Amino acid sequence: MNAAMRPSRVPRELARKLLETLGDVVGVKTVVLFTADGFEVASHSAEVGAPARIAAIGSSLSALGSAISAEAGLADFDCTTIQSVNGTIVITRVEGPHAMSLAVVADEAVTLGQLLWAVRRCCTALAKLMNE
Amino acid sequence: MNDVAEGEFKIVFTGPMGAGKTTAIAAISEIDPVRTEVANNDRMSHEKASTTVGFDYGRITLPGGGVVRLYGTPGQPRFRFMWSIVGRGAAGAIVLLDATQPGALVQMDLFVDAFRPLVPEGALVVGVGRTTEDGALNSDTFASRLEARGILAPVLSVDVRRKADVMLLVQTLACILETQNGNAYA
Ligand SMILES: Nc1nc2c(ncn2[C@@H]2O[C@H](COP(=O)(O)OP(=O)(O)OP(=O)(O)O)[C@@H](O)[C@H]2O)c(=O)[nH]1
Ligand SMILES: [Mg+2]
Repeated sequence: MNAAMRPSRVPRELARKLLETLGDVVGVKTVVLFTADGFEVASHSAEVGAPARIAAIGSSLSALGSAISAEAGLADFDCTTIQSVNGTIVITRVEGPHAMSLAVVADEAVTLGQLLWAVRRCCTALAKLMNE
Repeated sequence: MNDVAEGEFKIVFTGPMGAGKTTAIAAISEIDPVRTEVANNDRMSHEKASTTVGFDYGRITLPGGGVVRLYGTPGQPRFRFMWSIVGRGAAGAIVLLDATQPGALVQMDLFVDAFRPLVPEGALVVGVGRTTEDGALNSDTFASRLEARGILAPVLSVDVRRKADVMLLVQTLACILETQNGNAYA
């Protein structure tokens, strides 16, 4: 992928440092920050994953979340949680000048409440970084 | 499968980025279409401001009373995983192309090959846009290419911004389905 496709003023290295803090949450396997049109901006992974594919699929889910929220007359989409028998995926909108989202993949060791709290904190830090 | 009994069926608009899938569905849908447009960062592939990352959805009622659910796929290759999701259960597919794009023929092959397995045999129509612009390929070039590959599909020159042109694509597809199934699609 070409770097020119990403928003240019995003401090990617600093963003990646923030993603690493989520990696400390028990059960978290992969963290990917991506643009609304599905390009990976930064990622942190405990194992060999496919951050680029998670970015693409995550952006579709994010857009579908917005579409169904609008259809149901709710305020704009904020967070999607997908739970499977052996893990959880959380996709959250990151506020700021660049339309971005964060996807976090965790295994069954994770505690949902703890994960959501950590994700929210990370998103706030990312939003602050983007606004600087 | 397809909801033929209730006179309701699904068709899919597909094709590369900027071919006009979202525009085509908006041109004919009788409901406000569902869109999943977001800001486009890949200005090297296409200069347009937004791009589809989920799917488009609209609906029309044909003159004969049949209801057609219209779905549009994303066009960028990294959203390929959406193609089979959106294509599932479709009665037919319309492949849109931009005749001014240098790779338009290769793009046609790519989308035709991806969607032929997803729809019933022969339920495919190709719509080629911008054929009158400078440096554009002729729509015959697209038809010859399909013929050379032994693929039977009508190729129409269209402007996706025009309702009549898009309706012609849909009705051409509905005719194919009708002929094949003897069902009252149209
Ligand atoms: N000038 C001109 N513009 C056209 C013509 N046909 C289509 N367009 C424009 O081309 C653009 C097509 O954009 P979209 O409908 O978003 O394309 P899409 O296939 O949905 O693209 P993705 O969702 O990104 O894959 C629109 O801005 C149309 O107005 C044409 O014949 N002439
Ligand atoms: Mg589109």
